[in-house]
Formats: sequence, C-alpha cells, structure tokens
Amino acid sequence: MTIDEPHVVVVEDEKQIRRFVRTALEAEGCQVYEAETGKQGLVEAGTRKPDLIILDLGLPDLDGVDFIHDFRSWSTVPVLVLSARSSENDKIGALDAGADDYLTKPFGVGELLARVRVLLRRRNSATENTSIIQFGNNQIDLAKRIVTHNNVPVHLTQIEYRLLTLLVTNTSKVLTHRHVLREVWGPAFVESNHYLRIYISHLRQKLEDNPTQPQHFLTETGVGYRFQL
Amino acid sequence: MSMDVPKSNLSTRLIDSGNPQAGYWWTIIGCAITTSIATPLSQYLDLVNIVMLFLLTVLLIAARFSRGPAILAAFLSVALFDFFFVPPRFTFAVNDAQYLVTFAVMLAVALVTGQLTTGLRRQAQLSKIKEQQTRDLYEMATTLAGTINTEQVAEVLQRFLLTGFNLDVVLLLADDTEQLQPALASDLHPKIDSRFALIAYEQGQVIEDSILSGNGYGAGYFPLQAPMKIRGVIVFIPTQTLSTLHEHHALLATLASLVAIVIERLHYVAIAHNTQLEMASERLRSSILSALSHDLRTPLTALAGLAESIPLTSPTLPAATIESAVAIHEQALRLNNLLENLLDMARLHAGRVTLRKEWQLLEEVIGSSIKLLEHSLQQHTLQINLEKNLPLLEYDAVLLERVFCNLLENAAKYAPANTAITINAAAKTDYVEIFITDQGPGFQLDQQHEPLEMFTRGTHESSIPGVGLGLAICQAIIQAHHGSISISNQPAGGAIVSFTLPRGNPPTIEEENDYLEGADAK
Repeated sequence: MTIDEPHVVVVEDEKQIRRFVRTALEAEGCQVYEAETGKQGLVEAGTRKPDLIILDLGLPDLDGVDFIHDFRSWSTVPVLVLSARSSENDKIGALDAGADDYLTKPFGVGELLARVRVLLRRRNSATENTSIIQFGNNQIDLAKRIVTHNNVPVHLTQIEYRLLTLLVTNTSKVLTHRHVLREVWGPAFVESNHYLRIYISHLRQKLEDNPTQPQHFLTETGVGYRFQL
Repeated sequence: MSMDVPKSNLSTRLIDSGNPQAGYWWTIIGCAITTSIATPLSQYLDLVNIVMLFLLTVLLIAARFSRGPAILAAFLSVALFDFFFVPPRFTFAVNDAQYLVTFAVMLAVALVTGQLTTGLRRQAQLSKIKEQQTRDLYEMATTLAGTINTEQVAEVLQRFLLTGFNLDVVLLLADDTEQLQPALASDLHPKIDSRFALIAYEQGQVIEDSILSGNGYGAGYFPLQAPMKIRGVIVFIPTQTLSTLHEHHALLATLASLVAIVIERLHYVAIAHNTQLEMASERLRSSILSALSHDLRTPLTALAGLAESIPLTSPTLPAATIESAVAIHEQALRLNNLLENLLDMARLHAGRVTLRKEWQLLEEVIGSSIKLLEHSLQQHTLQINLEKNLPLLEYDAVLLERVFCNLLENAAKYAPANTAITINAAAKTDYVEIFITDQGPGFQLDQQHEPLEMFTRGTHESSIPGVGLGLAICQAIIQAHHGSISISNQPAGGAIVSFTLPRGNPPTIEEENDYLEGADAK
C-alpha cells in the first residue's frame, strides 16, 4: 500500500459483482471499500475520502438518483454508475443528478477499468489549467479563441465554439442532451434536440477526419454526447 | 264491457274493476230497496221528497258503478216512481199531466248526475293511473341508472313495460360492425322485422309496422338517439291491442331517449374499463420484462466479470486455466447476446412499442453502431456512402442502433474476412432508403426459409452462433417506424438488406451567421 493509491467505494448489492469489481480495481492498484446498501455507501463515501464512487442504480434501499443528489450536495468526487436497466431514462436521470459516467450491465472488466482510469485521471488533472487543448489533428486555444485543424484555422460560429468548449472542458464525461442544450442554447431550448444534432454534425464535419466514424465527438445513443481526446 | 272507448288497457281494467253485470243487478236491487223504503213513508212524505229519494239512489249508483247502471237507474227510478207513487197508484197511467214534467225533470237530473259522477270518477281514476305510471317510470329510470350492463337494461325494461303497459320490449344494439344485435341473446321476438329495425337505426326515425304487417298487433321501432350517435333500436310489441303504441307514443319516445343515454353511459363505462385493463396489463408486462431482464442480467454480469477477472489475479495462473476463464467469459457474452435478443423480441411483440422518436441525422446512428461493433467489424472494410444533405429523420435512436448493429453484425458474421460491407442511403420523395450489402453467401431465398420470420436460419448457418431473431427484431423495429424492410441477393452474390424510413416534416433550423471573431474569416 502506498499513500497515493486511489480510494474507490463500490456500492453494489450483488456480492459476486462486487467481488470481480474489487479484483479488477485491486489489480489496477486501487484501495477498494465495499458497501452493500445505499445508506452504508453514503457512510463509506463520507468516511473513506474516496477518489471515485462506483454506484449500482438498482439498490434495494435507496434510489440511485437520490444517492447521487445526496452525495453531490457535499462532494464533487466522480461517480460511475452501473445500470442493469436498459432504459435510457434511468441513465439520463443519474447523469442529470450529477453522475459522471455510466456502464450498462453486463460490462467487461476492460471497459470498467478504462472508465475508472479516465475518471481518476480527470480528478488529478482538474487543477491543471492549460489554455491549449490538443486532440487528433486539432488544437484549440481557449485564450485566443482559435481552433485549428491540421494547422489550418477552422471557421466556427459562436454557437459551434460554445458547444466545442463545453465538450472539451468536460472531456470523457457523458453530457445529456438536456444539459448541453441548456448550457449552450439556454433553458428555452432544452427540448430542441435537433439543434444539438445538427451542430454536433457541423463540429464533426469540421474537426473529425472521418465524420461518419467520429473518434472524438462520440454519440451516447439515447443519452447524450461524450468528448474524447 | 263498459260503453267507453277504452283510453288504455290499464285504465279500462281499473274502471271495470267489478263485474259489469253486478252493477246492473245492484241497480235493480237498489231501486227495489228505495221503493220498499219509500212505500211506507209515502203517507207522511210529499211526492216531491220521494223523488229526492230516487235521485239519491241514482247518485249513489252512479258514484259506485259506471255509466250504464246509472242510466238504467235513472229510467228505473222514473218507472218505479210512476208505478208505485203517482196516483193512480200501481198503474203507469198518470192523472195529472203535470207529473209528466216531474218525470222529465227527474229523468234529466238523474241522467246528468249519473253522467257527471261517472265522469269525475273516471278522471280521478285516470290521474291515479298517470301517477302510477309516472312512479313506475321514475322507478325504472332509477333502476336503469344503476345498471351495469346492457343485459340488465333489457331485463329492467321488460319487467316494467310488461306489467305496467302490456308491452313486450326488445333492445337491439349496434355492434362494432354496425349490425343490430339483441341485448339478451335469447331475445329474438318472432314479430320483429329486422328490416324495419335497420331503417329505424339508419334513418333515426320511429317506424310503426301496424298497418304494414297486418298480423295482429304490430310493433314500434324507436331509434336510440344518444348524444354521440344512434346506439341501436328499441322495439315495443303490444301484447294485447295495437292502440297501446299510439296512446303512449310520447311516453315511449321519452323512454327510448332515456334508454339511449343509459346505453351510451354503459358504452363509455366499458371503454374506460377496457382501457384501464389494458393499461394494467401493459404495466404488468413491462414490469415483468424489466424484472426478468434485471434478474437474468445480474448473474450474467457477475459470471462474465468473474471469468474476465480470473487472469488478473496474482500469482499468475496456469495458461490452461486462463484459457478456460476466457472461454467462460466468451460463452457468458454469447448467452447475454441471446438474452438481449429474446428480451427485445418479447418487448417488441408484447404490444404497442413506445418509440422515443427524435429528429436526428442518419449518420449519427450509423456512427454509434459502428463504434459499438468496432471489435466485430475489424476484419472487414466498411464503405459508407450517404447522399449529401440527407434530411433529418424522426426515429428512436436506441432501436435504430439495434437495427444497424444486427445487420452489420450479420454481415460481419457471414461475409468472409477482408471483404467490404457497404452502407448506402438515398433520399426519395417520401422516404429515405438505406441499403446494407455484403460479399457473403447471400440469403437462402426459398419457401422454407423466410429470413425475416422468427427463429429462421439458413441451412449453412449451423456453425455460426445465433437463433435467428436478429432480422425479425429489425423488421419489428422498422415497422414500428412505419417503414418497410426487404432482403435480396446481389447478382454477383452477397446479401442486400434494404429498409426505408418515412421523411415526415422535419423541424426547421435557423441559420446562424454569427462567426467567431478570433477565427480567420473567409
């Protein structure tokens, strides 16, 4: 055990799932604390100073969304949600409540670890304040408000730029349609999903090498979008 | 029988409540008694007062019996008075001609009294009948308001009309195909002519077949005119005389509209009830499905995850063990795929699919499907040719992603490695057509193998995992979007799956010309 190994609280009622999640996380070098119920999970989250919470949405004693609301009232630690339900509404509910990412059961260990790494890295790099972001063949200079693709300046509209900065400042985080619409267009547009679709398409046309198979502006079907470096 | 033309069966029956013969006998006896009482008194009383006694008798008889006995009493009294009291007594001869005036006045007074009294009594009886009918109707309306099905309505009507009005009643209600059906299954009266019923129903008019049928009493067909539409026909068939229908026409018309409202109420009660049942069963179905999917997925997640995490444990396990763990993991994922397909099929076939339709671009769902299948598509080259400026389409992204995943996965499964899988999309006037083609063996197109059916698989497919649900799921999803799906083979070999999505009226997007200042403007 070293002092800087990340602490992860796993809130999940199914013992066998907890077990393999623990095995996987320990192999990754995490210190894992398990909680079987939502109430116990909140206690663990409060006492263990975790760097990440992994939360099952189908807890018997507490609704996952209520857990997140409660937790978000005093912590900004990332929350990864596990959802056994195929319904997109549950995921949207959890994300809108403040969850950072989700995994649908059954999920692979590889997938789980990839998400965990990203969330932990973001936690560490949150303090880094760089004004230049690089992804693919693109570079964004947030200070000068200049975007280049293959070193050629890209012509963006105000809204396209706002959308781009919202996405890149939330790298790897799933943003729901509602959230993006509210942030970029304003509260009156939260139901105007087609605007968002069109503008994401514009960004892909301008910044992706192959717009039909995007590598950075990813669609989370039925839920929202995720920007990936 | 009374001399009146009966106003109704009921009223006639009440007025003739005694034996009509008895009235006449009582008249004779009454007059005889009056005579025998008056005879000894005639020494003390004036003839004028004797006349009074006879008039009293006529009045009493008129009050007690009907008009016939009253008239008899009048004549009999005059005759007896003349015979026994007017000198010369015991003959009908009259000495003093002025007695003729007495006789005439006496007769006139007796007749008028009799007439007035019976008339009054009749009025009283009629209003009593009216009152009874009103009470009956009120009671019937109350009973009808409490009925819970049309059979009950028919029974209540029969009970009240048969006892109160001597009418048989048959309720004919329009079913979903606009055919008139009796409310009580056993209730097919021989006197009902279905043609008249149909005319009454279609034209909304009262039809009476009294003259037309000529077979006795006839029947009246009243349309059940409810606020929303005509609900059927009520048929009244007199059991005794035809006149009943005419006399009570207004009343029966009121009754018909009352019944119509009751039937309409029952109709909407039934609809509300059915809707509630449907909602309850829909809710039950979806909760069973989600419980099932949760309960099956949880152990599968654990199984796949545990198997996958075995190689991560330290100290490192023997290669054979790790190989087994990898195999277990693969099998668990396969099982999961099957489960997903079965659950999706159950959900799609469980009734109405609720689509979360949104206006979006086709390229988006294609992109996300390819991203999901990244792993399975590694061995093939993908060619995507989307027509420029495809319109926004309204679709459920999750379901359409399933369609693309199933089709691309199929193509990857059957087409040999290093061949191309193509996605083409083109806009037509009313729809957008999407083609997915591969360079595999193509579909086995014959009668035994309808690939779009559930659980159908080609004969050469036995070595490839699957149960034959993929295409059936695609079909269900595309049909739910009001599109169509078809399969064929290319002349050079290789499968083609094509499907359409309707274009509809996409929302407009306001163009934005407000460009970023910092960027190098064109």
